Amino acid sequence: MEAAPPRRWGTPLWVAALLIVLAFLVIYPLMMLVFGALSDSNPVVDGFGKFRPSLHHFLEVVGNENVHLAFFNALAACGGGTVLAVMIGLSFSWIVVRTNTPFKRFIAGASMIPLFVPPLVAGVAWSILASPKTGLINTVFKWIGIDFRVDFYSMAGLIIVFGIYYAPYVYMFTASALQNMDPSLEEASEVSGASAFTTLFTVTFPLIAPAILAGSLLSFVVMLGIYGVPAALGAPANINVLTTYIFKLTAWSPPLYNTAAAVAILLMIVTAILVWAQQRILTGKSFATVAGKAFRPRSLNLGPWRWFTFGLAVVYLFVVVVLPTLALVIAAFRKFLFIKDLDALFDMRAYGWSHFNQVFDNPLTMLSIWNTLRVGVITALIGGTLAFAIGYTVNRTHVPGRKAIDLLSTIPVAIPGLVVGVAYLWAWIGLPGGLYGTIWILALAFVARFIPDTVKSLSTSFMQIHKELEEAAWICGRGLVSTIATIVLPLARPGVVASMTLLFVLAIRELGSSLFLYTSDTTVMAVLLLDYYEGGNVGKTAAFSLVQTAILAVLLGLTNWLSRGAAQGSARVG
Amino acid sequence: MTAALAIEQLEKRFAPGVRPAVDGVSFDVPAGEIVVLLGPSGCGKTTTLRCVAGLEHPTGGRISIGNRVVSEPKRGLLVSPRERDIGMVFQSYAVWPHMTVRQNVAYPLKYRRTGGGGDITARVNDTLELVGLGEYAERPVVSLSGGQMQRVALARSLVYRPQLLLLDEPLSNLDAKLRIRLRDELRRILKATGMTGLYVTHDQAEAVVLGDRIGVMKDGKLLQMAPPGEIYNRPADSFVANFTGASNVLLGKVLARAGDRAIIDLGVAGRIEAWTPQSLNAGDKARVALRAENVRLGERGAANVFSGRVIERRYQGMQTVYDVELGGQRLEALELGTAARHDQDREVAITLPPDTCWAYRDEGAAVD
Repeated sequence: MEAAPPRRWGTPLWVAALLIVLAFLVIYPLMMLVFGALSDSNPVVDGFGKFRPSLHHFLEVVGNENVHLAFFNALAACGGGTVLAVMIGLSFSWIVVRTNTPFKRFIAGASMIPLFVPPLVAGVAWSILASPKTGLINTVFKWIGIDFRVDFYSMAGLIIVFGIYYAPYVYMFTASALQNMDPSLEEASEVSGASAFTTLFTVTFPLIAPAILAGSLLSFVVMLGIYGVPAALGAPANINVLTTYIFKLTAWSPPLYNTAAAVAILLMIVTAILVWAQQRILTGKSFATVAGKAFRPRSLNLGPWRWFTFGLAVVYLFVVVVLPTLALVIAAFRKFLFIKDLDALFDMRAYGWSHFNQVFDNPLTMLSIWNTLRVGVITALIGGTLAFAIGYTVNRTHVPGRKAIDLLSTIPVAIPGLVVGVAYLWAWIGLPGGLYGTIWILALAFVARFIPDTVKSLSTSFMQIHKELEEAAWICGRGLVSTIATIVLPLARPGVVASMTLLFVLAIRELGSSLFLYTSDTTVMAVLLLDYYEGGNVGKTAAFSLVQTAILAVLLGLTNWLSRGAAQGSARVG
Repeated sequence: MTAALAIEQLEKRFAPGVRPAVDGVSFDVPAGEIVVLLGPSGCGKTTTLRCVAGLEHPTGGRISIGNRVVSEPKRGLLVSPRERDIGMVFQSYAVWPHMTVRQNVAYPLKYRRTGGGGDITARVNDTLELVGLGEYAERPVVSLSGGQMQRVALARSLVYRPQLLLLDEPLSNLDAKLRIRLRDELRRILKATGMTGLYVTHDQAEAVVLGDRIGVMKDGKLLQMAPPGEIYNRPADSFVANFTGASNVLLGKVLARAGDRAIIDLGVAGRIEAWTPQSLNAGDKARVALRAENVRLGERGAANVFSGRVIERRYQGMQTVYDVELGGQRLEALELGTAARHDQDREVAITLPPDTCWAYRDEGAAVD
């Protein structure tokens, strides 16, 4: 036995290195956040001498009326939004999976579009459409003589926009549950003499209740962490939710970082509880998959009613895709948004590129695009590599400590982006020669924020590679590292490329954590868009929204094409 | 009161232009009788059953339950499943996992437009008692075994005394031992309630035990509908013969036929006398089907006596299987008992009783 000494030290060193990296990325900022919430000083800036932790400070913040208001506003907006999202998502999954509604493949695909729209862009579009005075919808109502006016600068507006944009989360869960349900469960009810309606409410929906609950918890959690929509629609009406309130605290002069940290902790606790509940439901025994067999789902013949369900789908897509896009286009290209009547709308002289010119005359615009791309690439590379290392260690080895690695890399699931931003700000702002003020702090924050998603998507591709393929390479005399390089990496390449792509896309549209970490030199697209919006120039905001959406669409298409190429490449190899 | 099911020229096409899944099937089920549809997968038996249930919509023919037409596409007539007064037991049990046993069984009584009322609790209890689940009423169904779940499904379909009970391979998800037990019990329960039943299976043993009559289906067509004894002893065509276990085939030419008796020339082996349901003509190519169980090795009977040679002997403990060469053709013979009496590579006398040899037109030569 000639066990080489480096081998013996290799494993603990590797595990320790991963743990240190994760601690640095996740635990250190969180600890600083907790310290911040428990005191009125920053130990990094002020030194540990002044640091006297006590619950007192945190409890004071939690007892504050404004915090209560933001908390209950958040519950109302996200709760209402979730109810609406469930109604839309559930109806859609039923229409797509269970009926003979025409063009349902197209409906299914198109209804996923809202997932890709950055929340701030959605907020901007709806403020153009439905602001109480100048909203385009209200203008149209005035033309046709309807006395009714919509006002989305309100709780109702928040709820509606949340509901329609986050319905796809509910849809994803309920559609697959409906798909996997044994059709004879419903047929048995029908044969027993129950009407279609009774069957739906006594058999179908109760059976997919876990999926409905899991989907609504997820959409609730996502809404809770969103900054863009409440910033665009809530702020004008002075409606603060937790996220906007946290940002407001840090924008105070002087900034109330300790208070922000405490509210961020509150937000994190609520999120963590909900995520935990959702995971419990998902790992619990699901009713719908009891039979564990593939089925051809039942398709209900709706007769002429299928055009009604088709109409519903078209209305939804119109409201969530066409209308906002139209609003952005009109606002971006019109020199003045005031539209007197229908003729004025089609008066081409009123349109032009002036807003785009203004946007691109601003040197910050190009800088933000450049920064965004750089941050995206750095995040994808670092995050992808780290996720590969974590995924391999956790899924493919039996080294001691892998459970701890798994746990550390899962924690960020329960941390909203905004909280990650506050934590990183808090952790790095005082460190001399540190990361603050560079784009690296943004990239590291994104890596930390999205590491659970990346590891999860990579792990799926690891599971498809049979362990024996690796063992065969070992038998052939290859070492561990060389096996990974020659066997695992080539086979997992489509998964790795797909995960990096996902990370890249998530990074370039992230607003919540960027808000706290950018400086004038490191501004990114999402932050600059918020600047334009808060500056009050609707035309420039709309123009830059379109620019951002176009860049996002091009990158999505490009990366999609890239990862498809990678998948085909590996199919040839394998 | 149970009533008859009548199916006339039933046709179901899933798409225009493709071969129909059910192709001109007609049969009756008199009140109180259990008819089993038997056939390989894809033969259209389940589709037929689902058309009767109203879960599939036929494209032709007529279905009547009792004296009421429930489906006749030509007149645009289609009664929904819930108004057909039927019960159905599914292959996957289809008991609702979010309910208790009692809730499952009470469900039809609660939601049916007719047949409700009365004392629901008492009726549920009686039915659970009948299927042997009296003590399980308050259990959640997911805590039951597969066999118990299928009993719940049976109770649920019996509790409202439907006119007709449909059973779609109800035993095929159970393990072998349980299947046999539940099969015998199912017959007892169905006969005790006097139910009219239509039962679909691919298992011959189930069909024989449960069916008052068996209908054998293939490629959407009903080949033969008869009591089990007739299916087993007088199969109407070579597919029925083969599917019910007559796996030996001897090829030859028809020499003569008189009524249901035919003389077939097997070539080197000699002539064989056989029963036939078909109007064979002299000179037709024919195939003679017979069961391995009916080959008498080492016996010289009154007719159809041949001389063969044992090629291979496979001892199986309770029985022995022999491969025998007979004038250039191969025959499988089965000998019951724990002692094998014939040796390999020996000449042996063979008797093939004429009643157990069935001659059919050889499809290769069939030109009709």
